[in-house]
Amino acid sequence: MRRMTIAVGVAAILLVGGIVPLGAQQPKLTLPGIPNPGVASYAPEIGKYGGTYVISQISDPRTFNPIVAQDTASTAVTGALFEALVDQDYLTGEIVPGLAESWTVSQDGRTWTFTLREGIKWSDGQPLTTEDVAFSAQAIFTDGVDNSAVDLLTFQDQPLRWRVLDKRRIQFITPRAICPVGIFLRLIGAIDVVPKHKLADALAKGGAEFNRTWGINVNPKELVGTGPFILQSYVPGQRLTLLRNPNYWSVDQKGQRLPYLTRYILLIVPNLEQSRLKFLAGETDFYSARPREFAELKAQERQGSFAVYDGPETFGSEFLVLNQNPAGVGSGGLTPAQLSWFQDVRFRRALNHAIDRNTIVQQVYAGRATPSWSPISVGNKLYVNTNVPQYPYNLDRAQQLLAEAGYRKGADGLLRDAQGNVVEFTLQTNAGNTDREAIGNILRQDFVKLGMRVTFAPEAFPSLVSKLTGSYRWQAIIIGLTGGIEPSSGRNVYLSSGDLHMWRPNQEKPVNEWEAEVDRLFEQAACETDQAKRKTLYARWQQIYSEQAPMMWFSNPKTQPAVRNTIGNIKLGLQGVTGTLETRYYKTVYK
Amino acid sequence: MLRHIVQRLLNLIPLLFGVTLISFIIIQLSPGDFLSEMRLNPVVSSETVEAMRRNFGLDQPLHIQYLKWLRAIFLRGDLGYSFAYHVPVTWLIGSRLLNTLILNLAALVIAWLVAIPIGIHAATRQYSFSDNTLSMTAYLGISTPTFFSGLLLLLFAFKTRLLPIGGMTSLDYEFFPWYGKVLDVARHLVIPATVLAFTASAGLMRQMRGNLLEVLRQDYVRTARAKGLAERPVIYKHAVRNAINPLITIFGFEIGGLLSGSAILENVVGWPGLGRLILEALVQKDLYVVMGSLLIGSITLVLGNLVADILLAFADPRIRYD
Repeated sequence: MRRMTIAVGVAAILLVGGIVPLGAQQPKLTLPGIPNPGVASYAPEIGKYGGTYVISQISDPRTFNPIVAQDTASTAVTGALFEALVDQDYLTGEIVPGLAESWTVSQDGRTWTFTLREGIKWSDGQPLTTEDVAFSAQAIFTDGVDNSAVDLLTFQDQPLRWRVLDKRRIQFITPRAICPVGIFLRLIGAIDVVPKHKLADALAKGGAEFNRTWGINVNPKELVGTGPFILQSYVPGQRLTLLRNPNYWSVDQKGQRLPYLTRYILLIVPNLEQSRLKFLAGETDFYSARPREFAELKAQERQGSFAVYDGPETFGSEFLVLNQNPAGVGSGGLTPAQLSWFQDVRFRRALNHAIDRNTIVQQVYAGRATPSWSPISVGNKLYVNTNVPQYPYNLDRAQQLLAEAGYRKGADGLLRDAQGNVVEFTLQTNAGNTDREAIGNILRQDFVKLGMRVTFAPEAFPSLVSKLTGSYRWQAIIIGLTGGIEPSSGRNVYLSSGDLHMWRPNQEKPVNEWEAEVDRLFEQAACETDQAKRKTLYARWQQIYSEQAPMMWFSNPKTQPAVRNTIGNIKLGLQGVTGTLETRYYKTVYK
Repeated sequence: MLRHIVQRLLNLIPLLFGVTLISFIIIQLSPGDFLSEMRLNPVVSSETVEAMRRNFGLDQPLHIQYLKWLRAIFLRGDLGYSFAYHVPVTWLIGSRLLNTLILNLAALVIAWLVAIPIGIHAATRQYSFSDNTLSMTAYLGISTPTFFSGLLLLLFAFKTRLLPIGGMTSLDYEFFPWYGKVLDVARHLVIPATVLAFTASAGLMRQMRGNLLEVLRQDYVRTARAKGLAERPVIYKHAVRNAINPLITIFGFEIGGLLSGSAILENVVGWPGLGRLILEALVQKDLYVVMGSLLIGSITLVLGNLVADILLAFADPRIRYD
């Protein structure tokens, strides 16, 4: 079998691009027992050892078990304790080696062989082997273990398989006839490797027991990982204290073992307001500011000795979706007339022209957002298609489109369809989300100008979700989704068979030709190894979505991270990430 | 007396039964459940969500869920598992209980130590300048919501840097000697305890003042004064002792609120108590955490009232329970 090596390509690409990494000309860096450590060539500075880095977060972690952890409050901790075979470069989004130093893929794209770095140790001193990797995969596929990776790693009801070759080599085999090559490495990156010698007993007792293992009541000494930090203590409702992992397997460009920091502390605060106050008072070193706080923080930079950065857009976006599901007809849901309007693409396009994105950007995000026309965020440089049809705010154009579709505005100022029904519907969002509520009010005002009768009725999140995914009795909803870098992580939303294909979920066969085409594009893209070709396929999908407007995106909010000047190695990456934890350091002298 | 106490404790059982049953039904009848958020996650399939629902027992009929919960309490004192945290509810509540207790006890002590003397002072100098000033302050205290005064004091702490901004302990708390730990918690307590005590003492002070004024108008006070008794013994030996009865009832209520009275404030100042836990659990519909805290809240309320009744019997010889 012929194999191709991908890992070696990383340095070569950098050279071709004309950027010579600092470490490229130097002799090979090693650590005692680790001949091929990870090298943080992306970090702009060589740091100093010592110091404490303090940040705040809103919620308590829910578990320390990385296989079960799903919420960001938990993954913020487990992310510092555990790692996967491969990692994502925070600057480019590309896949780079992690615990595995290299990997090869067979010609048919189904068999992937990973080689672990030699000499990596768990924080308790035990060696990391492929048995641990296999165990972690096994945990994901064990019945009753709560995790979302299982859905990503199951392809048309066939699970991923694996085989341990030796202590350092493991093979993953994807099911026959299915080719999720494009995203396979990212999926492997979603499997945090956990120590078999610590968790095997729990998993043997079943999924329910495994879910409870390494819960927040665990003795921190039990948490054995390969990440840059280890947990020292957790005080519920107050703070998490993490200490440097002396066994970490990465070095800086001078060959010094990372991480630099001695302590990493996560304070738990009740709300963003206190998070902001604590940062301004100097109690914490980092604050992820909201868009409307940017100008105010900018003005306080010198006085507070910090810098607030003009970060790129996040991957998420809020959008408007209209119910096109015949199953939604009934009391509390759609009327037959509403169903026919919402299924009419001319109606949807008209509405899209009545969405004042600039006002949303100005009023809701204080100018710190970019209008959005596509399911992929402007911030996702790898995949965004910026040439999709746009719907600039223009009420006259909207009115004209409606007239062409047979809607007439009467003498009373109300819009009626060809059958004489007054165009009216209820617009909803989840109550308490002030951004979405503000957007809803802006939308309603403009829709009313078109002669529609629109009621804006925010509702509690759980009941909104049960309408959206259970009863289908809703009309129009403003909601948001967090996006991954690979569009295929949104399969459940964009495929016509998806549960979250909100406007008409779980279709047995695609109802519209354009939906069938999207399904085909996603299947093709999943089989495509060539990044550029994948980009083309997904660009076509974005084109279709913009033309058909089943979802109408508003804008991609920007990020504005604020960091204390005493912290080094700050370089902005995707979604405003300011650097990696292991290269962060404390500048002892600061003027 | 003992008989009365036993009777009251026995009454507690059907009461708690009713409280938990009704709350269980109400929580379950409201739309959505703990998994609502997960249903909107693009990478989680509906099969996975259903599997988790089965794991949690949420797929079973309501009465079965409720009876199972009750049985675990009776058999093992087990309040169930938290969906969100994967740990027993008793551990979760236990990890926060003491913090809330410390805060509320501190506020309670401060409030009573301040309110009673001030109330007496105001009553004996009715409509004087100091009485009017105190009354104004009391109105302010009663009408200011705790989240607002809490925020104001946090801003004060932020501007002056005299006090820590929220939380309960400092970063290096673990390394402090015992007296350092006490001092550290005390420093963090200043803001939340002041806010709670201010609100509570405002009401208490008005109560004390009103009761005492009422008593001071009674015939026996006039008689005592007519006998030529000095003003101090008239007030402290005769009037105050009689005026304090209704406050004992209030005291009982306050004991009942020891675990729940600070819920909103905890969320504002970041006190790591039960309030934050419960509010979060309510929003997320973490069923058994909500049920567990409701149960504990009801028990303390009933016990608080019982304590008040016993104290009343001691304070007032006219009250007998036999």
